[in-house]
Amino acid sequence: MGLLTILKKMKHKEREMRLLMLGLDNAGKTTILKKFNGEDISTISPTLGFNIKTLEHRGFKLNIWDVGGQKSLRSYWRNYFESTDGLVWVVDSADRLRLDDCKRELSSLLQEERLAGATLLVFANKQDLPGALSKEAIGEAMGLDDIKTHHWCIMGCSAVTGENLLSGVDWLLDDIAARVFTAD
Amino acid sequence: MLGYIWQYVYSSFLRYWLKWVVRQVSGKCELQRICAGFQPGSTRTSKTEYSLQFSKNKVLRGSLQTSRDSLEQCVDHIVQAKNVKPQKDPLFRKSLHTCLLQITGYAGLYTCVEDLRKETFSSDNMEHEDMLLKLWKLLMPTVKLESRVTKQWGDIGFQGDDPKTDFRGMGMLGLTNLVFFSEHYTEEARQVLSHANHPQLGYSYAIVGINLTEMAYSLLKSGDLKPHFYNTVTGNPELLHFHHLYCYLAYEFDKFWVASKPQSIMEFNHYREKFHSQVKISLQEPGVALTLTVSSEH
Repeated sequence: MGLLTILKKMKHKEREMRLLMLGLDNAGKTTILKKFNGEDISTISPTLGFNIKTLEHRGFKLNIWDVGGQKSLRSYWRNYFESTDGLVWVVDSADRLRLDDCKRELSSLLQEERLAGATLLVFANKQDLPGALSKEAIGEAMGLDDIKTHHWCIMGCSAVTGENLLSGVDWLLDDIAARVFTAD
Repeated sequence: MLGYIWQYVYSSFLRYWLKWVVRQVSGKCELQRICAGFQPGSTRTSKTEYSLQFSKNKVLRGSLQTSRDSLEQCVDHIVQAKNVKPQKDPLFRKSLHTCLLQITGYAGLYTCVEDLRKETFSSDNMEHEDMLLKLWKLLMPTVKLESRVTKQWGDIGFQGDDPKTDFRGMGMLGLTNLVFFSEHYTEEARQVLSHANHPQLGYSYAIVGINLTEMAYSLLKSGDLKPHFYNTVTGNPELLHFHHLYCYLAYEFDKFWVASKPQSIMEFNHYREKFHSQVKISLQEPGVALTLTVSSEH
C-alpha cells in the first residue's frame, strides 16, 4: 500500500460522520430522514427497529441512524450510541402533552458517557401545524439553556415542507467538523 | 448495448412483421391466439395486456383505460377492428372481455385503495372511532378498554396511548386492514396477536400490521400483484380482495418471523425485507395465488 493510498484512506475516513436521530414516537424522524434524502414522504408507517441511510453532503459522508421512538424500543437506543458524532433530537412541537416525557428522555441521553462528545441538534419539528409551539418555547421546555456539557442548537423545522432541514444539518456538520477535523 | 439495439429493432419492426406473418399463416390475430392458447389466469391476461399496450391500433391501446360501463362496447370495437368472426371463434369475445375486466379492474382497485389510504384517521369522525373500538373488541373480547386514551392500546401493539398517530401514511387503509383480518379470520388474528405478545419473539402487532399494509400497497402500486389478482379473481378485483391479500401477508409474516427466531424487534426491517423478497419471488410464478388457507374459515 502506497503512502498516497494511506493518506487517501485517512482522509476518506476523516470525512465520515455518524449521526444518531432520536426522539419520541411520531416526532417525525423518518420523515426528516426521507425528506432530506429527497424521497417520497407520503406513505411512511411507524418505524420498528431502525433505518440507516448513508448519504453525501458537502463532501461529507453521513451515516444517519433513525431509531424507532416508541416506549418499548427506547431501551435499545443505547446500542446505537457508540462513536456518534452528532445527536439529532426531534420534537413534535404540536404534542404539548408529552413535552415532559420528551425532556426527561433527552436529559437521560445527555448523561450517557458514550454520547459525551456528541454535538446536539434539536429539531422543533412540525412548525407547519397550526398548534405548534415556537422553537423558543420548545427550547425552554427542554431546558436547553441548562446544558453545559454539549454544543447545542435548536432549529424550528418542518419535515413536510422541508423548511430548515438543510440549515440544521449544515450547522451540525460545521460544529462537528470544527471539533473533530481541525482539532488535530 | 447490443441488447438495447435488439430490443429496439424487435419492438419497433420485427414484432409487427412476425405478427403479420403468423396472422397470414394461422388466420388468427395475436389476441385470438393468446385467448385460445392459454388457460384463463395470469399468463393469458398478462399477455393480452402486453399485446394491447404495444398495439399500433388506437382502439386497442385505448381499451386499457376503458371504464367498466363501456367495456362491452370496447370489446365490440376490438372484435370489429381485428375483424374477428364470432362464428369462427365463438369463445374469443368472452375471453377478451374477462381479460379486460381484470386489467382495467386492477387500475380501478388501485384508485380505491389510494383513496382509502389518503383518508386520514380523525377522532372527530364517529365511523373511524367506532372501527378502532371494534378492533379492540375483536382482539381483546374479555378485556374492557378503560378509556379511549389509555396505555392498554399497547397490548395490541400500538405505540402510545392514542393509536390515531400510528396510522400516518397508511391512513384508514391501515385500520381497515387490521379490522378486516380480526373480523374475517378472528382465530388466526388472535393467534398472531398471542405470538406478537411473546416475551422474546414478540413484536408490536398493530404497528407491524400497518407496515404490512404499506407492503401490500406498494406491491399493488408497482403492479407486482397483477399475477395474483389475475389468477384469483375472474372479474374485476375489489377492495375486499385487497383486504384478503393483507390477511395473507399478516398471517404469513407472523409464521416467517417466528420461524426466523430474530434476536430482537430491532431486526424488524431486515426480516421485513427478506419477507418482501420472498413474496416478490412467489409473485413471479405464473400460477401464484397468495390466499390465506386455514382449516376452517369463519
